[in-house]
Amino acid sequence: MWYRSASFILDQQQNDGVAQPESRLLSPTAPSPSMAETPQQNPKISAYYQTRAAHHGVVSSDWLAQAQAAVGRQADEAVSDDSLSLKSGESPKAFSVIDEFNNWRKQPELAEAVAAIRALASVIRSSEANTMMELEIELKKASDSLKSWDTTSISLTAGCDLFMRYVTRTSALEYEDFNSAKSRLLERAEKFGEISYKARRIIAMLSQDFIFDGCTILVHGFSRVVLEVLRTAAQNRKLFRIFCTEGRPDRTGLRLSNELAKLDVPVKLLIDSAVAYSMDEVDMVFVGADGVVESGGIINMMGTYQIALVAKSMSKPVYVAAESYKFARLYPLNQKDMVPALRPIDFGVPIPSKVEVETSARDYTPPQYLTLLFTDLGVLTPSVVSDELIQLYL
Amino acid sequence: MPDVHALVNDFLIKLKRRKIEGSKATAKVTAEVLRSFISQQRLPNTNQAGALIDAVKAVGEQLIAANPVELAVGNVVRRVLHIIREEDLSLTAAAIGGLSLSAGSDDEDDVGHDEHPALSAAAVAAAARSTLRPPSLQTLLEDVPHTAAVPHTSSSGGDSEGKSKSADKNSSTKRLKHNVIEAVNELIQDIVTCHEQIAEQAVEHIHQNEVILTLGSSRTVVEFLCAAKEKKRSFRVFVAEGAPRYQGHTLAKELVTRGLQTTVITDSAVFAMISRVNMVIVGAHAVMANGGVIAPVGLNMVALAAQRHAVPFVVLAGIHKLCPLYPHNPEVLLNELRSPSELLDFGEFSDCLDFGSGSGSPILHVVNPAFDYVPPNLVSLFITDTGGHNPSYMYRLIADYYSANDLVLQRRSAS
Repeated sequence: MWYRSASFILDQQQNDGVAQPESRLLSPTAPSPSMAETPQQNPKISAYYQTRAAHHGVVSSDWLAQAQAAVGRQADEAVSDDSLSLKSGESPKAFSVIDEFNNWRKQPELAEAVAAIRALASVIRSSEANTMMELEIELKKASDSLKSWDTTSISLTAGCDLFMRYVTRTSALEYEDFNSAKSRLLERAEKFGEISYKARRIIAMLSQDFIFDGCTILVHGFSRVVLEVLRTAAQNRKLFRIFCTEGRPDRTGLRLSNELAKLDVPVKLLIDSAVAYSMDEVDMVFVGADGVVESGGIINMMGTYQIALVAKSMSKPVYVAAESYKFARLYPLNQKDMVPALRPIDFGVPIPSKVEVETSARDYTPPQYLTLLFTDLGVLTPSVVSDELIQLYL
Repeated sequence: MPDVHALVNDFLIKLKRRKIEGSKATAKVTAEVLRSFISQQRLPNTNQAGALIDAVKAVGEQLIAANPVELAVGNVVRRVLHIIREEDLSLTAAAIGGLSLSAGSDDEDDVGHDEHPALSAAAVAAAARSTLRPPSLQTLLEDVPHTAAVPHTSSSGGDSEGKSKSADKNSSTKRLKHNVIEAVNELIQDIVTCHEQIAEQAVEHIHQNEVILTLGSSRTVVEFLCAAKEKKRSFRVFVAEGAPRYQGHTLAKELVTRGLQTTVITDSAVFAMISRVNMVIVGAHAVMANGGVIAPVGLNMVALAAQRHAVPFVVLAGIHKLCPLYPHNPEVLLNELRSPSELLDFGEFSDCLDFGSGSGSPILHVVNPAFDYVPPNLVSLFITDTGGHNPSYMYRLIADYYSANDLVLQRRSAS
């Protein structure tokens, strides 16, 4: 009765879904019984945000234990479900895709899309196909299983799509025999990891001009790209200071302030509610992105939209640093128009079971609140993003 | 060679001393200087385009450093570089078409070589396409090995095909320069005729019995308004005088001689009069990649007034004014401070402005900036020689006229 938007239909379906968690084979519903303070809705705990929290957040030990148990259960589930749903000849390969992906994903410096592409590269390596068509079909299956394993991660989906798109386009140029084409695909996939590092450096270089001496930068969330930008600026002896939001519940701000203190950059921590209070001292806002959508808006950690709204009303520029493989073919019309990605929130004190908690991990910032996007394709205004996506997918 | 050097140095001195006024004149002279420079260049036999690009970049850096605020210089340099790359690409594509035919007839015994030209044809075409376009998602995965592999294959292909290609090469040497110079001539022609092309669109935008507001004086605006007058539209013009140079006065005089009803107002009266105005039409000094405008001082205020009263703010700009850079601190870096004598009379204020007397530094300061930055959200429409565009569309024009590799000309020492 509280819900006014059409999305309440979706919420109702989720409520129905609590009764049948087994119906979805590859979704991570296993952790739900283990959470003590679970709300009534079906918590699709996002593996993506769990990983990020594990990498970048200051986590409490019991949460970490829960997360590890959850991941372990998902891997087991993936094993059992893969053997059920796929043919016997292919199940070892499908098993290894998700396993491979999990291995790559755990490395803190590696981007999610790179891990996905490396996992797909391992599929190519272990494939016994003899024609491009067969290889493509195998890759498509592997890519689909990866995507459905974690539906909440945008860069995973975007990375898979990008690689599949590249494979189909390469096979259209029929001038090579199969083995050389296969080895080229493999080589290209391995090189993609380098592209990811290069992308961060390019973005850091492009954004240097926008950081001037004596500026104050507000940063939200722990983005490795933004950290690279700030690290490069510090190395170039620029004088600036950082306001860092606390970033509950992941406490990303604490981790970020640690890193910045190592660089001798003056940092001030703000609780999330103090952003508007401090906004007039701020010269610009810098955020990363989990995904860049077709409208030119971004999907990022919860709180980004709020900060962008405040910045816009006080005429402060909002800059986004994102690699180009995070561009996704999504077009959210409102905040609830995405696959829900939930995170457990630890309030430190027990909450009565009747009280609901909003556990969504991310929000959508529309393009009119963003000033510029720094990507490895160059400095872009939000309107360029849809152009790029059309060029790729048309 | 010596006369080209003298030409370039002459131009550098003029730029440093700000002797050339106006972006159109500057753009035209820059293009002409570069044309003479290119025609005098002696190019090596292989990779001529690369050598030519390096030479033009070296000269271009000097020119830009002489007057960094005059963005038209950098724009023309980058246009010429883009032209060189384009001409090289079309020549390569034509040559590859000829090459694959000759390869099939010559090397029938060597199977490996047979595959090579076919590989290099598609690879070269793909790589050339990707280097010409700005980096995009499509080329993300292709980027790394291709750019390394392509010159290698094309040069090895050239070595093997020795004699049959050398004849082609000699003709293509001359053809590259020839094509480039022809294209630069077209560029100069475009710069010179930009006013006419923009004025042709006047009749679509100015309607009967409208009131137009403008500030200061701009040749493009004069031509635009007169073209509409010629098509028998009757309208009125409010001219804000544009202190401290008061160029609005000359504009008003010129409009009156052409028979347009004109009203002169002060800059401070713009906010008061804007509610009676249908459209604001102004010229620009430069247009940045995000759609922001570097315009004569006072236009930011007019743009804000226009937004407040929902009056369309139309900017007329030739394509040579379109700059592919993003403004990160435009009020400071892209501005020029002119002489304070335009504001205050030295005679009256000589005791206040005297640096020698008293404590040494005077209390009275005079700041006379030449330009204003108008952010893109205040601009309704850009009218260029190619038509009318939204500010958010500017990046497309940039992709058409400039190459991504040429954007950073100054910083060779950076990583």
